[in-house]
Amino acid sequence: MDRLIQILKDPLLIAALAILVLLGAGELLSPGFARGDQIVRLLTVAAILGIVAAGQNLVVLGGREGIDLSVGAVISLGAVIAGNVMSGNDAAILPAVAAAAGAGFLVGIVNGLGVTVVRIPPLVMTLGMMGVLQGALVVLSRGVPSGNAAPALMAFVNQPFVLGIPGILFVWAAIAVLMAFVLRRTAFGWSIYAIGSNERAAVLTGLAAGRIRTILYGLSGLFAGVTGVCVIGYTGNSFISVGDQYVLPSVIAVVIGGTSLAGGSGSYTGTILGAIALVLLQSVLTTLQMEFWSRQVIFGATLLVLMLLYGRQARLRV
Amino acid sequence: MATLLDGRLWLITLTALLVLVGVNAALQPNFLEPSVLQSNLTTFLPLVLVAIGQTYVVLAGDIDLSVGAVVALVNVTTVSVIAALGGDSQSVLAGLAAGIGVGIACGLVNGFFVAVLRFQPIVTTFATSIVFAGLALRILPDAGLPVPEAYWRGYAGGLFGVPTVVLVLAAALVTIAVVGRRPFFTRLRAVGGQRTAAFQTGLSVGRLRIAAYVLSAVFAALASLCLTGETASGDPLMGQTLALSSISAVVLGGTALAGGVGGPFGSLLGALVLGMIGNVIFFAGLPFEYQTLVQGLIVLAALAGGVLVARR
Amino acid sequence: MPPALEASGVTKRFGAVVALNDARLTVGRGEVHALLGANGCGKSTLCKIIAGTVARDDGEIRVAGEARALASPRAAEAAGIALYYQELSLVPQLTVAENVFLGHEPRGFGGFVDETTLNDRTDLLIGRFAGVAGEGFTARTRVSDLSPDQRQITEILKVLARKPRLIIFDEATAALDRRQVDVFFSIMKDLRAEGISSIFISHRLDEVFRVADRITVMRNGATVADFATAETTPEAIVREMVGDVRLGPKGGTAAPAEAAEIRLSVEGVTGGRLQGVSFAARRGEILGLGGLQGQGQKRLLAGLFGADPFTGGRVLLDGEPVAPRRPADAIAAGFGLVSGDRARDAAFPGRSILENAAMASLVRDKARLILLGPLRSRFSRTLSGLKTRYAGLNAPIGSLSGGNQQKIFIARWLAARPSVLLLDDPTKGIDLGAKADFFAIVRALAGTGATILIYSSEDADLLSLCHRVLVFNGGRITADLTGSTLDAMALTRAAYGEAA
Repeated sequence: MDRLIQILKDPLLIAALAILVLLGAGELLSPGFARGDQIVRLLTVAAILGIVAAGQNLVVLGGREGIDLSVGAVISLGAVIAGNVMSGNDAAILPAVAAAAGAGFLVGIVNGLGVTVVRIPPLVMTLGMMGVLQGALVVLSRGVPSGNAAPALMAFVNQPFVLGIPGILFVWAAIAVLMAFVLRRTAFGWSIYAIGSNERAAVLTGLAAGRIRTILYGLSGLFAGVTGVCVIGYTGNSFISVGDQYVLPSVIAVVIGGTSLAGGSGSYTGTILGAIALVLLQSVLTTLQMEFWSRQVIFGATLLVLMLLYGRQARLRV
Repeated sequence: MATLLDGRLWLITLTALLVLVGVNAALQPNFLEPSVLQSNLTTFLPLVLVAIGQTYVVLAGDIDLSVGAVVALVNVTTVSVIAALGGDSQSVLAGLAAGIGVGIACGLVNGFFVAVLRFQPIVTTFATSIVFAGLALRILPDAGLPVPEAYWRGYAGGLFGVPTVVLVLAAALVTIAVVGRRPFFTRLRAVGGQRTAAFQTGLSVGRLRIAAYVLSAVFAALASLCLTGETASGDPLMGQTLALSSISAVVLGGTALAGGVGGPFGSLLGALVLGMIGNVIFFAGLPFEYQTLVQGLIVLAALAGGVLVARR
Repeated sequence: MPPALEASGVTKRFGAVVALNDARLTVGRGEVHALLGANGCGKSTLCKIIAGTVARDDGEIRVAGEARALASPRAAEAAGIALYYQELSLVPQLTVAENVFLGHEPRGFGGFVDETTLNDRTDLLIGRFAGVAGEGFTARTRVSDLSPDQRQITEILKVLARKPRLIIFDEATAALDRRQVDVFFSIMKDLRAEGISSIFISHRLDEVFRVADRITVMRNGATVADFATAETTPEAIVREMVGDVRLGPKGGTAAPAEAAEIRLSVEGVTGGRLQGVSFAARRGEILGLGGLQGQGQKRLLAGLFGADPFTGGRVLLDGEPVAPRRPADAIAAGFGLVSGDRARDAAFPGRSILENAAMASLVRDKARLILLGPLRSRFSRTLSGLKTRYAGLNAPIGSLSGGNQQKIFIARWLAARPSVLLLDDPTKGIDLGAKADFFAIVRALAGTGATILIYSSEDADLLSLCHRVLVFNGGRITADLTGSTLDAMALTRAAYGEAA
C-alpha cells in the first residue's frame, strides 16, 4: 500500500496523467482538440516555455532558494536584441541567436554573482535585475517596438520543417537530450544536485559551490535569451514586456514536473511534462471560453494544489 | 561601528534619506513647502504602509508576494461596495470596512497555506496573488467606478488643520510603537530567527506566522484605501509593483530577509528613500527614457549595499 | 504522594527505526535522577517526548499522578515540565533577557513588555553564576555575541526562569568549565531543596555520581535497570549500558617504525581556541586528538582541511608548505575529512548511494564525463570490501543506517586516495558492530601508508585505535601519550590538565 502511494506520488506520473486528462477533456469539449496538427501547435507553444524553464530548472535544482524571476525581462531583452540584429534579414539569424544568448548569459552571471558573492537572496536579486532590465529595454527601444524577425526564423518556429514538425521542436528535443545528459552523465550535473541537496557537504567534498551556482544563473539567462529569439520568431516582432508572461509559468512548469523548490531533486524530463501540462491547461481553459479572471483563479489554485502534493515543509514536531 | 549599529541599521537608512532630501531640496526649490511635502507624502504613503506590513512577515522568516494583489482586490471591493450602497457617507464607511475585511481574509488565507499547511511561502503567496488578482478582475473588469467626492476630498483634506495623510502616517507610527512593545514582536523575531528554538520554547509558531500575514494584509488594505483616495476610482490592476518595492524597502530599512533582525521603522524609512530616489532622478533632469534604468540600478545597488551592511 | 513523573511502556518509531521500545522512568519529588545509556539508546528521544517536542506512538506518562498527553511543548510546560536542550533552543538574534523570558515576558501597564523588570530579573539570574560567567555577559547582550559556555548558561537560566516542577537537563554541562559545573551543581542542590525534580543526562560518569540520587540505565530503546546511586558503582552502570561487552581489539596493527618518514608537520598553528599547536605525524600513523570536548581538536581538523583556515603558524605536508583557504585546496593537496555529523557535513540527502560515494573522487580526478559502468563496478567493489549492507547503488543514502552511511563516506575518501585522512568524531551515532568494522577499515588504510588524525568524543575509541594520542586542554597540547603511557587513566588525567 505504501509502495502504491509512493508510485502514485511520482511527479512524472502525475504530470503525465494530467496531460492525458487535459487532452481528453479538450477533445470532449471541442472535438478536434487532440488532432495531430493541434497537438503540434500546442507543443510549439510548450517548447518556448520549456526552453526558458530549462534554465529555471537548473537554478532551482542548485538550491539555496534558487529562483530566477528575471527570465521574463531577459526574454524581452533577447527578443529586442535579436530583432534588431536580424531586422528581417535571414543571413543574420545566427548572429542574432548568439547576441541574444550572450546577453542573457551575461545578465545571468551578474545575477549569479549577486547571489553568491554579495549573497542577496535570489528572489530579491533577480527581481531587482528585472527592474534594471526593464529600464534598459526602455533605453534600447526608446519606448517603441523595434526590430523584426527574419522570415526563415518565423518559418522555423511556426511552419513544418521535417515530417510536418516545426524546427523549434527539434531544438527543444535537442535541449532535452542535452539537459538529461548533463544532469545524469557529467560531473557538473552531479555537482548541481550535490550543492542543491547539501551545500556544506558539497563544499567539504571540494566542490566550488559559488562558482557552480553562478554558472547556473548564467545558463538560466542564456536559455532565456534563446527563448527571446524563439518568441520573436513566433510572433514576428517584439515589445518591451513580451517576456513577462513567461516568468510565472516557467516556475510552475518546474514545480509541476516535481523539482523540489528546496533544491537537489528533480529532473528536466519532469519539467518538460510540466510545461506541456501547463500549456494544455491554458488551452482547455481558453476552449471553455472562460473569462480571463477565472483562468487566473484556476491557474493560481492549480499551483496551490501542486504545493499540497510536493511543496510542503517539514513539521516542527515529529 | 559594529556595536554602535547593532540593531540600528535604520540609522544608515535615515542618513541616506536626509541626503536625498537635501539633494531634492537643492534641485527643486519649493520642495520644502507644505503643499509640496504633502503631495509627496501622498505619493509615498501607500508604499510606506505596505512596507511596514511586509516587515512583520519578513521578521517571522516568511515573505508576502501577494500584497500588490491585495491592494487591487481591496480597491475594487471598496469602490464596488460604495457604488452598490448608493454612495452616501454611510456607504463610504461600509466600503472602507469591507476593504479592511477583505484584507484580513487575504491575510488569513496566506497564513493558512503557509503556517498550517506548511507551503513554501514564496510560491504560495505568488499563487495566492494570482488568485486575488483574478478575483479583482471578476469584481471590476475595467478601471473606473469613481468614488464619491466625500472620500477623495476627505483624503486630500485634513482634520483640525492636519492633513489626512499626516494623520495616517502618525497612526502608522503609533501602531509600530505599540506592536513593537508587545511580547508578540519579540516572539515574532524569535520565530524568524530560529524557528525550532521558538517552537521548543513553547511559542505558537503557527499562530504567530498567521498573525504576521494578517498584519501585512491589513497594512496593504490601508495602503489600498489611501491609493483609492488618491486616484478616486477603482482599478483592478492597481498596486502591481508594490510587492517588489515593499521587499526592497524592507531590505533597505535594515531588516534581514532571513528573519529575526530589524523592524518596521527601518522599512518606513526605506520606503521613503525609494520614493525620494524617484524624485531626485526626476528633478535631476535625466532624459525620460533613462529614468527607469537609473532607478532600477540604484535600487539594486542599494539592496546589495543593504545586504552587505546587514552582514557586516 | 505520587512521584513527580511516571513514564511506562513508551514506544517511538522513526520510519523503520525503533527508537524506543518499552521505556520506563520514575522520578520522585525533589529527586535528581540520572538517565544513562550508550549513544542511540533512546534517552534523548524519551526526554523530548516528555517535553512534548516529539510525539510518542504508545505508552503512558503521569505527571504528579495525573495522566498527560503532552501533545506540544506548551502542554508540557503547562504540566510544569521544562527541558534543557542539548541542541540549544536559543534565538541568536535576541538578547539574553529576551531569550530567557521568551514566551513569559514580564508585562507592565497595558500588557506591554516591562523591559526594566525583564532585564533586572535576567541580571539577577546571571548573578547566580557570578565570577564564573565570563566577560560581556549581561541581560542586554545579544546571544550571537556569547561564547559557547555562556550560551549554555543562558539555556540553564531560561529553564530556571520558567519555574518548573520537573527539569530535564540533557548534557547541560558539556560546554562548561569545572568552576561553572560546580555552580551548576549547587543550583541543582537548591532545586532539590525546593522539591523540584530533575532528570540529569551526562556523558561524564563522575558528575552523575556527584549529583544524582537515582540512576536509570537504558539500552537499545528500553529501560534495563534502575539503581539508587549509593547502592551501585560506575563499573556496574557501565556493564548495564554496554550489555554484552564487546570492546574492539586493541592495537590491530603495529605502530609505524620510528624511522617512518614524517608526513604531516604542524608548527604553531593558531585560530579559534588554538593557542599555538605543534606536532608531527608519520606515514601510517593513527594519531588521536584527545581531551575534553571543545578544547580545540575540531578547530585543528577544520583548519587543516581549509574549512576554517588557521590565523597563524604553518603546516608542511611531505616537507612542502600547505595553506588551504578552502576544502578544495586541502583535497587537492591530499587531505580527506570524514565527519561524524553526517547529516550536516557529508550526506547529500535524497541522492543515490553512488552519487554520495563518488563525489570526492570525481572532484579529485577533475572528471568531466561520468562513465557509469566503471564507476559502479569500482564502488560496488569498494563497498563490499567495507562490508557495507545496501540494497543497491541507486538506493537513496537515507535508506542506510548510520553505520552503513559512514562506510559510504569512508568509501568516498578511499576512492580519492588521501595521504592524510582527518576523522572528526567519526563514530558518533553508530552501533558497536559497525564501529568495529570502521576501526578495521581505518587500520587497513593506515597500513597502506596513509596518516590518520582522529578526534573522538569517546576516549575508548582513541584507546583502541590510536598509536599515539595528543591530549588537548585549553587550545594547547598538554600531553603526548604513546605505548606504555597510553591508557584510560593517563588520558583522563591529562584531559583535566593534570600531570600524567
